[in-house]
Amino acid sequence: MGGNSPCASCKLLRRRCTKDCIFAPYFPSDDPHRFAIVHKVFGASNVSKMLQELPVHQRVDAVNSLVYEANARVRDPVYGCVGAISYLQNQVAQLQMQLAVAQAEILCIQVQQEPVIMPTSSQLAATIDGTDEKSAFLLHNNLPAQYLNFASSSNVTHESLKRESFFGHDMVS
Amino acid sequence: MSNPTSSRCAACKYLRRRCPQDCICSPYFPSNDPQRFAYVHKIYGASNVGKLLQQLPERARFEAVESLYYEALCRIQDPVYGCAGIVSWLQQQIHDVESEIAKTRAEITVFLNSNISISELNTQHPQTDDMGMENLSNKHKGPL
Repeated sequence: MGGNSPCASCKLLRRRCTKDCIFAPYFPSDDPHRFAIVHKVFGASNVSKMLQELPVHQRVDAVNSLVYEANARVRDPVYGCVGAISYLQNQVAQLQMQLAVAQAEILCIQVQQEPVIMPTSSQLAATIDGTDEKSAFLLHNNLPAQYLNFASSSNVTHESLKRESFFGHDMVS
Repeated sequence: MSNPTSSRCAACKYLRRRCPQDCICSPYFPSNDPQRFAYVHKIYGASNVGKLLQQLPERARFEAVESLYYEALCRIQDPVYGCAGIVSWLQQQIHDVESEIAKTRAEITVFLNSNISISELNTQHPQTDDMGMENLSNKHKGPL
């Protein structure tokens, strides 16, 4: 971006957009909102310093993540991105519980399906007691109902957080 | 009227200015934790923090500063991805666990179906031994 058309940041800051403008590659003029929101939350000076401290090949990702965080902060001025993290951590915990329940269920079914080898009459006569084996078998089947019917609730307004990757997507609705 | 120099908040100390009685930063940046403000200022700037706090009701400001501090810390530790990197990682975790749940539930279905088939077989053709007990031995296992 040189003398032809200033980048979005230089337009907003009302300054000349030089050839080596640090913002130009990441804030094209056709998306003024992108820089506006980053400038509102972080400030142009801070963003410039952050970019200068990074190697060039990492700056695209850095800018994308700053845009994501800025959008999150505008949407939720109190918690910003941290609100999303908290919600997602909760989701992970709930899903891990569901997984544990499902894995316990499989174990239970596997135990049920294990071949119960019935001894011959002569073997039975030689063994001491068969009732303990049966008790242990029944114990594995007595799972509390809550584990088998576990269901999680989800907050509809945050469902998009589970699916949307912040790379290449703006959080602005 | 301003706070005496010795009790300036961390923000005013850092910015080397007078700390007024109604300093907006002072409740959230105590002088005994200078690093807190330093991190937040490095990423957001004092002016932006002040504007943000002014826009919020007083009861929400403490949480807001906590989250700003956390995000600033994340950004300092990871200058490329910051907090957004954690979000991305959690999203991936969710995806992985959901896949694992789906796979496990599919296995359960297979197990249950194979269990039903065996039960039906035993019901149609019960086998008894000399003791008069049903032969529950089963060597057939369904596919996983």
